[in-house]
Amino acid sequence: MSKQLSAFTTFANPAPQETPKMKLDAVLGALATRYRMLPVLLALVLIWAYFAWANPLFLSPRNLSNLSLQIVTTGIVALGLMFVLVIGEIDLSVAATGAVSAAITAGMAVNQGFDTVTAVAVGLLIGAAIGCVQGLVITYFRAPAFIVTLGTSLILQGILLDLLPASSNLISLVGQPLGKVATIYLPGLVSVALLAVVIALGLVFSLQSYAAKKRNALPASFLWSVVAPAVSLAIVGTVVIAVFSSYRGVPLLVAFLLGLLGFFAYVTTQTRFGVYLYAIGANAEAARRAGISVKFLRVTAFTLTGIFAALGGMIAAGRVLGVSPDSADTTLLLEAIAAAVIGGVSLFGGRGSVWAALTGALVIGSVSNGMLLINASTQTRLEVQGAILTLAVILDAYLSRKANRGR
Amino acid sequence: MNKNEPPILEVRNVSIRFGGVAALTRVSLSIWPGEVVALVGDNGAGKSTLVKTISGIQSPDEGEILVSGAALSLKSPHDANAAGIQTVYQDLAICDNLDTVQNLFLGREYYHPWYKGRRLDRAGMEARAKEVLANLDVKIRDINVPANSLSGGQRQSVAICRSILTDPRVVLLDEPTAALGVAQRKQVLNLIERLRAQGRAVIVISHDLGDVQQVADRVVVLRLGNKVAEVSRGSYTREELVGAITGMISNEEMAALSRREGVSHV
Repeated sequence: MSKQLSAFTTFANPAPQETPKMKLDAVLGALATRYRMLPVLLALVLIWAYFAWANPLFLSPRNLSNLSLQIVTTGIVALGLMFVLVIGEIDLSVAATGAVSAAITAGMAVNQGFDTVTAVAVGLLIGAAIGCVQGLVITYFRAPAFIVTLGTSLILQGILLDLLPASSNLISLVGQPLGKVATIYLPGLVSVALLAVVIALGLVFSLQSYAAKKRNALPASFLWSVVAPAVSLAIVGTVVIAVFSSYRGVPLLVAFLLGLLGFFAYVTTQTRFGVYLYAIGANAEAARRAGISVKFLRVTAFTLTGIFAALGGMIAAGRVLGVSPDSADTTLLLEAIAAAVIGGVSLFGGRGSVWAALTGALVIGSVSNGMLLINASTQTRLEVQGAILTLAVILDAYLSRKANRGR
Repeated sequence: MNKNEPPILEVRNVSIRFGGVAALTRVSLSIWPGEVVALVGDNGAGKSTLVKTISGIQSPDEGEILVSGAALSLKSPHDANAAGIQTVYQDLAICDNLDTVQNLFLGREYYHPWYKGRRLDRAGMEARAKEVLANLDVKIRDINVPANSLSGGQRQSVAICRSILTDPRVVLLDEPTAALGVAQRKQVLNLIERLRAQGRAVIVISHDLGDVQQVADRVVVLRLGNKVAEVSRGSYTREELVGAITGMISNEEMAALSRREGVSHV
């Protein structure tokens, strides 16, 4: 319909003027794609400003350190979800996948005396296998992901009960290496060294791009493409490290999350794999005709989601010092989906960046953390969180429509 | 165009049946470099089946396909591409969320070796994209913004440019002007003429007889799986073409129509 409409407009008005409405549409189109981060960051600033005003403790290094640890699990699971959301699918089994993987890892480490590394590796493999099987079922039986992953989630919750000891229904991680991982903080020097490595890597890549552009006679600004990103990364990194260091230092898990995000930001934006995922999300038929193995990539995306779900499940178990039937409850699932969507990953597929997992998890985490600090009731907390998620989905639907209407 | 040489692409007596239905019956078609041939016909005439045969999606039950005089068996779109045949499908080639460069190179990206992290060679692709777009005189304000900001004509142009990245000798265009505005349609027709000027053979499927009259050197009319007429530029009227498509004129009249410029009726 919209194409016929635009054909008609062209016919009626061969030299279209730039009306204010068209400009607004262009701005909204840009907001839906290149500048999708802006509304999220703005929301984050508002949320932080409000809570800082309501309770000055909110911005204390100690609370920010806690907050950052609280969002690691959500962030990692949201990062995993991003891969299936980008190709236009969904995975509702992430919480259960994480719980089952964590139960197997914890069981191996605690009850069977395996060393932690082996146990973690097996747990990640279990997560990968669960994701892979779901991906295969969804791809080859053309079953809707929504139902397949919901069914898998129920099956996994049953398996979780089988895995836990019948007497206590709990595998405790107290005193285990896994239980301590959330309490490790990096010394200041190590943090600074890590930041320097990241900046150096960034410089290598941006210089490579800059040189290639010059070689191909394309316009390139040394200041904006090389200097500015490095300097802003250095400033932001230093501030973050300074804040963390005035409490106990950068939490290991937070550094780990940032490292994962950086690596997968590279994978999704700088490699063919990443471009193909976005292509499938926008137009799977075009991707297939371009010779891309759509089926293989679908299964791979679900497998990645499974691995990240397992990783998130283990970290969650480490933070609460055990695996119990509660590990598979839907809070983590909903918060991870909410984080991805709030961060700007479109539920319609094809749009959203890796960093959405971080910004979205920060929004969700800041709200629950801040609400606790100002002694808000559980009712209010649920209402506010629900409202934020709904608003984010409305914004997603609105911007997606705008983005697809530019013709 | 030198008709003493073998045609760049020849379809010889191709028949295809789906169960009891004959989708194509002994259809033949030749095209030489630097020529635009339009394929017209009503729905169900066999145009799509013929295009699928040439682009390697559908194998013929009988007959053969020759490229530069040599018989080839096209078992997949990949075989057709390797033989220098590229097909552009109507509005199926563009991903809205990718920019022009990414769309042009989708599935054929340039990338650095493993020791440089298999990173995409964005600058290399951008430079080549500018070259290809300039060659065909396609104007796109910013090739770094997502394709959802392109007009229908620009999208079709990008899809066509995409197909000539591999320098094919035969380009098949499936309904390239469908659903386009007047100005955008002109843009695409100009593009087809530039493809011809580059010495490529172009096969266009179209429902728009105005476009066909303007751009095609020859028109092949299919009806119910049979080739009923083949006419040369300027030797027919629009009414005669409509008559051939719908079967409103007799076989004798059609044969006479096809003979007008010495092209034999098959």
